[in-house]
Amino acid sequence: MKRPVVSAPLLCLLPALALVPVLIVVGEGLHGGGFETWWRFLQGAVQPSKDPLLLKSLWEGLQVTLATALVGWGLSTLIGLLLGVFSSDVLWESAKIPTWPAAAIRSLLALPRAIHELLWGLLLLQVLGLHPWVAVAAITIPYSALVARVFRDQIDSIDRRRLTAVLQSGASAPAAFVSSIGPPLQPILLSYGGYRLECALRSATLLGVFGLGGIGTELQLTLQSLRFAEFWSGLWLLILLSVLLEQGLTFWRHRQQTNPSQWNGVSVLTMTVLAVLVGGHWLQQLLPTSGTTLQLMLPPLPDISALQLAATELPWLRMIEQTMRLTLLAAAIAIALPPLCLLIFPGRIAKQVFLGLWTLQRVLPPPLTLLMLLLANLPSLALAALALGLQNAGVMGRLLVEGLDQQSPGTMKAIEVTAAGPRQAWLLGCLSPQSRSYLAYGAYRTDVILRETLVVGLVGGTGLGWMLIESLSSFHWAAVLLIIVCFALLTLAGESISDGLRQRWLRTPGESAST
Amino acid sequence: MLELRDVCLTSRDSPRLNHVSLTFRAGETIALIGPSGAGKSTLLSIANGSLKPSSGTALWQGTPVHQLPRRQRRRIGTLWQDLHLVEELSVAQNINCGALGRRSLLWALANLLVPLERDACMTCLKQAGLQQDLIDRSVTTLSGGQRQRVALARLFRQRPDLVLADEPLSNLDPALVQDLLNTLLRQTPTSAGDILASTTVVCLHRPDLIDRFDRVIALRDGHVVMDAPSASITTKDLDVLYRASSEGRRAAPKP
Repeated sequence: MKRPVVSAPLLCLLPALALVPVLIVVGEGLHGGGFETWWRFLQGAVQPSKDPLLLKSLWEGLQVTLATALVGWGLSTLIGLLLGVFSSDVLWESAKIPTWPAAAIRSLLALPRAIHELLWGLLLLQVLGLHPWVAVAAITIPYSALVARVFRDQIDSIDRRRLTAVLQSGASAPAAFVSSIGPPLQPILLSYGGYRLECALRSATLLGVFGLGGIGTELQLTLQSLRFAEFWSGLWLLILLSVLLEQGLTFWRHRQQTNPSQWNGVSVLTMTVLAVLVGGHWLQQLLPTSGTTLQLMLPPLPDISALQLAATELPWLRMIEQTMRLTLLAAAIAIALPPLCLLIFPGRIAKQVFLGLWTLQRVLPPPLTLLMLLLANLPSLALAALALGLQNAGVMGRLLVEGLDQQSPGTMKAIEVTAAGPRQAWLLGCLSPQSRSYLAYGAYRTDVILRETLVVGLVGGTGLGWMLIESLSSFHWAAVLLIIVCFALLTLAGESISDGLRQRWLRTPGESAST
Repeated sequence: MLELRDVCLTSRDSPRLNHVSLTFRAGETIALIGPSGAGKSTLLSIANGSLKPSSGTALWQGTPVHQLPRRQRRRIGTLWQDLHLVEELSVAQNINCGALGRRSLLWALANLLVPLERDACMTCLKQAGLQQDLIDRSVTTLSGGQRQRVALARLFRQRPDLVLADEPLSNLDPALVQDLLNTLLRQTPTSAGDILASTTVVCLHRPDLIDRFDRVIALRDGHVVMDAPSASITTKDLDVLYRASSEGRRAAPKP
């Protein structure tokens, strides 16, 4: 008998096995008193509060979140683009200069990229105090480094023969670079830029959950005080904004694909600059304190002996093991849940229901999902994994459906006429052709989940995130520094593994079989 | 066996069919010919149930094709022009797709882990004229001719009573054309094991091959313009069929 080889479509579903231990632990942690709270919570969804004062406050919070996201996104796109250009080998090669400055910039960008925006937010909060621009900076710093990496990868993967040809025609190095590298970069600027704006909105909401203002703060306060009707008023507003943004960006991407000449890189960059200016002005109107100068309050730098002491005190093995377990369980849920749902219910109506559910999961920041689950459950690593997995399943589900909608129906039709059942036909005719790109995105999402373990760790009392918040609240700076370094190293290692997996899945099946 | 009764199709995406009535009888080999856009592929799609006619019905032994239970539906097999193999899977796993009509979802999932019923796959591979050592290869590594034979092996695995083949010979070199046609017309084994009862309908873009078939059906602009034994078709008939179409196209005003 042939040795079993897990094929790509099966690999999309197999991680669902992780749900078994997670649900067992979550089931054991259920407490009866929570069901009544859950019932009131669900009632709030259909009867949200319409108190004008509350709605005014929520509307202001929503505007703060949107303005923060807009400025953070705009700044990070502009800075990331510049850093991406300067960290690409092609730029330096075109000017016939050694490429070591590019390598140096890339190394410097690894640290800001490895630290989650929430951690940046908490650190900046300690250093700068509560100020509206702290949230903007917390988004801008890691996002710039992430955008820079994507643009650098794209620039370095562009065919260099065109650049060589332009240089040989006598053009100066900058002119040759802009004219030969610029046009192929435009579609990426459009599609990836749009994607980052959605991420920025999610990040701005999340930062609000941790006290940095906006709709996130409102949601956190109402949920913690069990005022579910008020919570749902805010959540419905946030869902509306997210859906409008997603649909707007999808429409924009579609227009760009059908009429690529309409949008060029310069007009997109102009729009980005405008977003920063408008968003900044908006933020200042909403929060007049945003115009005040930032006060720098640097914490004392820990000395060597304090670092050594902290290194021996901290339970490294347990923290890292919990973080890895949390990552793997959440990633398994995020990857397997959407295809499993569509496999069990392959109909069109079910697809629409799932799309609605996934929007809700995506919009709700993981700490709030975790708090919701905690209404009827005891805190555990499994519950934190479930919260993180559900939020990311919302992202993966939408991506899967988008991919399936764009896919040619040929294979599905061919399988259907063999008289296969609807589930078999969906498995082989729909999921299979999509499986490799889905797994490639799953690898990237796992990398994101590793960064986000920090977020649920803070609430769920597990992993490096929990230890970090403990150290921050006790001003144990030596421990804070060591945990940040450890987390950064972990995420960089995770990024490297996820890159390798992504490349593997993006190769054609024959190529990967032969390697 | 299969009857198209006054079938019409008015669709923006597919060529139209106008009041087509035909019967495919057991044991026949039928060549479906006609110029591009005549409606040949549309007719096959209606016959296998993947397309619903605007009016009229396609009946399989008296039951509308759309209402056939799974057990009956698998008796109609299709060889697609674009093959539609599952690129992510191996040759054996693709061949097993032909057996899905007789198997459960669990079986389909297990087949994704390790190709099941390898002996049956081997037999189908042999019937399709492909080397058996290719069974574990990914289909993306195969040549065009080999891929065509995997699609054929999938059809053998389905064990249909009626085979509908949509231009299976396009993009193949002449030697391969004869070879594939021999395999296809050697009569597909049926679910009853009776190899003589099989009916094969092949869409052809090359009218020079019609003498290999019992019967020829010609379509033009969605109408059946010829339905006769292949021996009675003359070169003049074919000239008229294709010339009338090209003249029609030339005469049509430019949009």
